[in-house]
Amino acid sequence: MNNFIDQALMAPLEVLAGHALAVLPNILAMGILLLGGLLIAWLSSHFVERLLHVIGFDHLCNRLGMTTALLRAGIKTDPSRVIGTSLYWTVILLASMGAVSALNLTPINQVAHSLLAYVPHLVTAGIILLAGYVCSNFASQAILIAAVNAGLPPARLIAICSRWGIQLLAGAMALEQLGIAEHIVVVGFGITWGGLVLATAIAFGLGAKDLAKEFLERRVVRTKATAPDDLRHW
Amino acid sequence: MNDHHTPLAPATEGRLRDIGSVDILVGIPSFNNAGTVGHVVRAVGAGLAKHFPERRAVLVNSDGGSSDDTTAIVARTAVDYQQLLIADRQSVLHRIVTPYHGIPGKGSAFRTIFEIARRLNAKACAVVDADLRSISPEWIEMLLRPMVDEGYDYVAPFYLRHKYDGTITNSLAYPLTRALYGRQIRQPIGGEFGFSGTLAAHYLDQHVWESEVARFGIDIWMTTEAIASGARVCQSFLGAKIHNPKDPAADLSDMLRQVVGSLFASMEQHADVWSTIEGSQPVPLFGFPYEVGVEPVHVDVDGMVSHFRQGLSDLEPLWREILGRRTFEQLADLNQQGRKDCRIPDELWSQIVFDAAAAYHHQVLPREHLLKSLTPLYLGRTASFVLATQGLTSAEAEQTIEQLCLTFERSKSYLLARWKAREYQLVSQEPESRVTLDAGGRHEQLY
Repeated sequence: MNNFIDQALMAPLEVLAGHALAVLPNILAMGILLLGGLLIAWLSSHFVERLLHVIGFDHLCNRLGMTTALLRAGIKTDPSRVIGTSLYWTVILLASMGAVSALNLTPINQVAHSLLAYVPHLVTAGIILLAGYVCSNFASQAILIAAVNAGLPPARLIAICSRWGIQLLAGAMALEQLGIAEHIVVVGFGITWGGLVLATAIAFGLGAKDLAKEFLERRVVRTKATAPDDLRHW
Repeated sequence: MNDHHTPLAPATEGRLRDIGSVDILVGIPSFNNAGTVGHVVRAVGAGLAKHFPERRAVLVNSDGGSSDDTTAIVARTAVDYQQLLIADRQSVLHRIVTPYHGIPGKGSAFRTIFEIARRLNAKACAVVDADLRSISPEWIEMLLRPMVDEGYDYVAPFYLRHKYDGTITNSLAYPLTRALYGRQIRQPIGGEFGFSGTLAAHYLDQHVWESEVARFGIDIWMTTEAIASGARVCQSFLGAKIHNPKDPAADLSDMLRQVVGSLFASMEQHADVWSTIEGSQPVPLFGFPYEVGVEPVHVDVDGMVSHFRQGLSDLEPLWREILGRRTFEQLADLNQQGRKDCRIPDELWSQIVFDAAAAYHHQVLPREHLLKSLTPLYLGRTASFVLATQGLTSAEAEQTIEQLCLTFERSKSYLLARWKAREYQLVSQEPESRVTLDAGGRHEQLY
């Protein structure tokens, strides 16, 4: 009976305990790395943010027009804070990778290496998304103002459509860069965009054919348009 | 001192060497003005022969690549001195017809004229538009005589205009220039100017030729730069100004952006000059003012009010960033009023303009967006002016403009407070405005 307990129950438990004891330092190391990473991320981001603030980095960015560029993107945060936040998340990402590697398990290591190899794609996709966001905000604002100045009633709708159109394009490009359902994204985007253009063309051709006729006549035949008034602003 | 010369065409360089030096230069910027430029050249030639017969003079046509016969007409148009009873023409009128370099626009054309004036050591210069129909030889005398005989540096034109002609001037350029620089120049963006050779060289030395100044912004820039640089300025009465309608393709929004952008950029450059000035002083006016019937102007008030209301609805987020909180609230209240009662009063308009100038200074928005978003506000103010002056004579309408100018002058402390606010965004969103208008029209700091 004793022999059975030793061989059938204790032996596997001992093996399990041996494995657990072998892995435990790695888990501890992972925890330490994670906690240390969090601490370093917080400290370094705060330190860099304060340092940039003290040396007048925000003022310099303002003079160089970078603050305006951020404003154009709808980011109303100081450039020093943007850098601090970016640093924080970069350190967190690196610490997480290190922590996962500390487990020293082949499958996890492979996953970690795969993740590391994936980072350039992530960065590229992030840049594409950021650029798309900046461009969409700037363009939609410019389109809104131009449409209002031209007296187009659906000015806000046009601006919103332009913003989402650009962001959709950026999103599709980012997903393609990440390799997520590449073909579906490209085909889906193509179909959506093509459908929009076709729908607009049909709507303009059928729904506003008189308007289109008048517009083309005005443009092509160049009949003399009557001015609504003769006020001279100059 | 800027030693870099503005590039000129090789043929022009050759003409300059042939001519050597002149006493007087008259410049005509042009672009497809074949229909009117001949009349302008005849008026200039007759004016120089009649009023400055003993002076060496040159006529410079700075052309923007006209596809019609503009330059050929300038080169061949002759003046019939006998018909004009001019017998003692002593000096030959030289002519230079040249293309200009740089950004296409009136400002770049002027730059070439300034450069030629500097190379020829011209003492007195004048510029006149090529689309003028009402120019007479006397205009040349009125633009040049103050420099030749009286020692002035800058002559601004003084026209007779319909009360609704030149609304950017009446509602914005004149009140703002007067309040800022303390000089009552009635037509700061008139189009025709006289200036000394020294001032032309000063203009050339400024690094503004890649900005709005290179386009429509040149007129207001020349005036503000002349005042701010301490030049002796005066005005000359020229009578009625009749010219071809502006290019229909020239968008109002673009024109407004260029003029206001030039004004605000000058404010940035000369903040130390205008921030210390209070009130305003009259500027000497030469000539013999008289009354003439001016062309009637039909105005579509409803269209302008619609534009303003659309702006109020669609551009609200932008205007909230540009304007002070209280200014925007007063503006928003107008939306609840009837179409005919939708009027922007003088005090509110002055605050809008000053808020926009401060927002430009603090770059709360991309500057081009900021300037373009002002178009509906300007149209709202123009509609208000038209509604307020319907049925008034030109003299009575002028009194209304005078009241607006006085309001701008009284409100200047508001501008200074907004201009100097370090955290502009915070100030514009504070629950109470820093500055308020008291009963006497003065602005007081609350805290």
